[in-house]
Amino acid sequence: MTVRVGWSAAVLVAGAVQLAAGWAGALAVLVFVAAVAVTYAIVLGAGVLRVPAGITVLVVLTVSVVGAHYVAPAAGPLDAVLDSVPRLLTAPRPAPATPELLVPGVLLVVAVALVSALTVAARALVVPAAGGAVLYVAAALLTAGQADPHGFGALALLAVIAVGWVVVDRPAALSAALVVGLAAFAVVATLLPARAPFEPRTLVTPPVTDLPVASPLPQLASWAARGDTELFRVRGPATPTRLVALADYTGATWRASSLYSPLGTVAPPRLPDGARRTETQVEVTIGDLAVPWLPTTGRPATTSVSAAVVDPDSGSMVLPSWPRKGFTYTVSSTVDAPEDADLLAAGVPDAAAARRYLALPGLPYSLAEYARRTVADARTPFEKAVAIEEVVRAGRTPEADAPVGSSYARLETFLFGAPGSPGAGEGTAEQFASAYAVLARAVGLPTRLVVGFRPVPPGAGGVAVVRASDATAWPEVYFAGWGWVPFDPVSGTDDGPGSASRRAVINRLATPTPTPSTPDTTGPPLPAPPTPEPAAAAAGSAARPWYLLVAGVPVLVVAVLGMLRAGRRLRLRRAGATGAWAYVLDSLLLAGRSPARHRPAPEIAADLAIPGAVGVAALADRAAFAPSPVPSGGTAWPLARQVRAELRRRVPWYRRVFWAVDPRVLWRR
Amino acid sequence: MTAVTGQGVGEHEITAFQVLHTQVGDAVETAVRGKRDVIDLVLVALFAGGHVLLEDVPGTGKTTLARAVAGALGGLSRRVQFTPDLLPSDVTGTSVYDPRTGQVSFRPGPVFANVVLADEINRAAAKTQSALLEVMEERTVTVDGVANAVPEPFLVVATQNPIDLDGTYRLPEAQLDRFMVRTSIGYPEPAHELDVLRPGSTAGRVAQVPTVTSPQAVTGYGRLLAGLHVAEPILGYIGELGTATRADPALRLGASTRGLRAMVRCAQVYAAAQGRHFVVPSDIQRLAAPVLAHRLVLTREALLAGTTTADVLAAAVERVPVPRPS
Repeated sequence: MTVRVGWSAAVLVAGAVQLAAGWAGALAVLVFVAAVAVTYAIVLGAGVLRVPAGITVLVVLTVSVVGAHYVAPAAGPLDAVLDSVPRLLTAPRPAPATPELLVPGVLLVVAVALVSALTVAARALVVPAAGGAVLYVAAALLTAGQADPHGFGALALLAVIAVGWVVVDRPAALSAALVVGLAAFAVVATLLPARAPFEPRTLVTPPVTDLPVASPLPQLASWAARGDTELFRVRGPATPTRLVALADYTGATWRASSLYSPLGTVAPPRLPDGARRTETQVEVTIGDLAVPWLPTTGRPATTSVSAAVVDPDSGSMVLPSWPRKGFTYTVSSTVDAPEDADLLAAGVPDAAAARRYLALPGLPYSLAEYARRTVADARTPFEKAVAIEEVVRAGRTPEADAPVGSSYARLETFLFGAPGSPGAGEGTAEQFASAYAVLARAVGLPTRLVVGFRPVPPGAGGVAVVRASDATAWPEVYFAGWGWVPFDPVSGTDDGPGSASRRAVINRLATPTPTPSTPDTTGPPLPAPPTPEPAAAAAGSAARPWYLLVAGVPVLVVAVLGMLRAGRRLRLRRAGATGAWAYVLDSLLLAGRSPARHRPAPEIAADLAIPGAVGVAALADRAAFAPSPVPSGGTAWPLARQVRAELRRRVPWYRRVFWAVDPRVLWRR
Repeated sequence: MTAVTGQGVGEHEITAFQVLHTQVGDAVETAVRGKRDVIDLVLVALFAGGHVLLEDVPGTGKTTLARAVAGALGGLSRRVQFTPDLLPSDVTGTSVYDPRTGQVSFRPGPVFANVVLADEINRAAAKTQSALLEVMEERTVTVDGVANAVPEPFLVVATQNPIDLDGTYRLPEAQLDRFMVRTSIGYPEPAHELDVLRPGSTAGRVAQVPTVTSPQAVTGYGRLLAGLHVAEPILGYIGELGTATRADPALRLGASTRGLRAMVRCAQVYAAAQGRHFVVPSDIQRLAAPVLAHRLVLTREALLAGTTTADVLAAAVERVPVPRPS
């Protein structure tokens, strides 16, 4: 009994540890293990006190639900349970280990432990194995297969279950556990980081927050005016930090997205991420930033701010309550990092897919024509992007006091204005980036505007102080398969992605002057650049590790054998007393004592000298040879199990290990 | 598997038979000590309506056994000492003329008894042996065209001395086949022998054997047990045993169909004696040697090699897979 209880608890703990992978930090592990322990303690204690099982279940469930209601207040106790799962599925991933997000996990663990602890006394050992599998599968679902990327957790769980077969002698549990193990393994195999893991989060509608946030673009001028103001501090690699990506252009201004969801929700960006991405993690302490956006270094993957909401399309992160001064958080983000050569031949998505990034309502002819002539010599989208960058930069000077605005009129003044008129040829990053974005959109390059900060070299203690003077804006162009690539029409410091290619393109385009002066008819149409298949590169990382295969095949074989043995046992069980005798013969074979075929059952039984064997033989003979045999399986089977247990006890341990899956009995006649 | 040969026998009847069988066995055992297995075989033949051939050296209790069975049965017991000059009519009986009535009447011979002890049957001439064997099979004695039935139950216990064969007429195989069971008694175990030797022992005192049943009861049970269930696999097993003996290279003659039928009858009684209303394979194995061995004829080579039919039969039993209940 003690062994069984300990084993079943160990199986559940293994499952609970897996489940805890869905939450950040070690707290979830402790909480879940404690939930297993407390449930077991209550159930076993109730058993000692002879409390009826039904009352135990009722009390434990009531306490759990009321506790959940207390921890995560909802309209009613049941709502606390019903709401907890969608809440978890719309939380950041991994979910922060806050009480209200731990509720569904704890409830699941308590329920599984409750059933397991109640049935372990009744010797139904398949339940703990199934419970462990349930927890494991829940973990896999919660993390879209990332909880156990290499299958170690599954193997550990199987190992714990397997240990039970050896120490807890129970054939039914064994076969069933094998089946459950196989099922778990199959689920793992399908959920492992594959190309398209099943994502339960797509099943819940994420809560969407409509935030009335304005574009921070006009802020650039005010920041430029008070350049020394410390906006925030960054600890981490010196990379550009971004505040917000502006996708919508009205012809008069750039607008930020207003619909935000929690970070963990899954709404893929309209334009998929590139094949090569880098991940950076920074710790940010807010200073005099005074905007709702939280600076990040790319598309946020995880953050310590559970209240933060994210624009799923651009990755801009907002704290609806506005960060106070001194607010500190960590955020890890990914950013597209294509290599030089990737971009040269890269294409752009078709206009329908990137409509949002190509919209130019009421584009003036002058701007459209200027853009067309700019890219007349460019052969690929990347060359067009570089050509526009060169054209916008050439002959124009960054001026902090230049008039603000990014309307067509302001941009026309910026680009074509007569020298001397205010804002002609002069602008802040806002005008440079906006002009670039409008021209690029005019020639079919999906473009967005990013408001952010130039990288600042870290000072004392590896902390970089980002000041108002570091604020800037830059355009980003989307290349199919490679993601968003930033361009810098202000300074042209080509150290971003594709810098070498950019120089090569500039050199090539240098021969015909980049400044479009004469309308030039274009040459032969450019061949469409081949679009690289982004999934091809991603497939490499999705390939299952070889050791999974090595471990999986034996597990599969063992599981199939276990199932066949379980099936045989079921058939024998149905056959009643004769089946019981066949079961004894099976056990004899496994014990290496297969009797000669001419020996009748009572003789074999008498030779065994095991209590019960003679009884089984007599009952089996009766069932087989008597007229209108009476069903005697009920008496014969307990005896047969007794004989089997004794035979199994007598064999050396290494034979005991294979006892349940030894295939020889399958073709015993 | 549940095909019934006969209508089957109820379990309570089996229990009653087992009690009776045990009582008869106990009664016989007061006279013949420590030979319960032999007694059981003789009783099997009695209830199965067959006859017993006891092959043993003198002085092991053959005669005592036969008479004790008769005593326990409460029936009539006769003894015929076979000699070379014994005539058939000395066994079966004869017609005599009664001068007072002027009628020819049949005077029954010693076979008109429930238990007939045919002592040293191999000492009589073949003609006399045949006369007895004919009665054993036919259960009637026909004299002057009139059939006289022997009483029921009718058990012939013939004895044969395997040594001292001078001046004997060996029973031909065809006639050996008419005995349902052949067995030997053998010397008793030392403990039992001491018991027998002790002065005042009841061993050998046939007169003290209590009568525990009646010939009618034995006949009734014999008829009843003929309907005891024998499952199809068991019949198949018996058939395969017969085939195995017929195919055995060491045998000139295998088990006859009559022998296999006798096996079925014996198995029915034996199973009932064990308190079962069905036959199991171990019954067949237990009865194989006493029921079948004497019907087999060894080849000359096997005979010269010192093999016995019992050995050959045991080998055949080991070759044939037993029908398993599984």
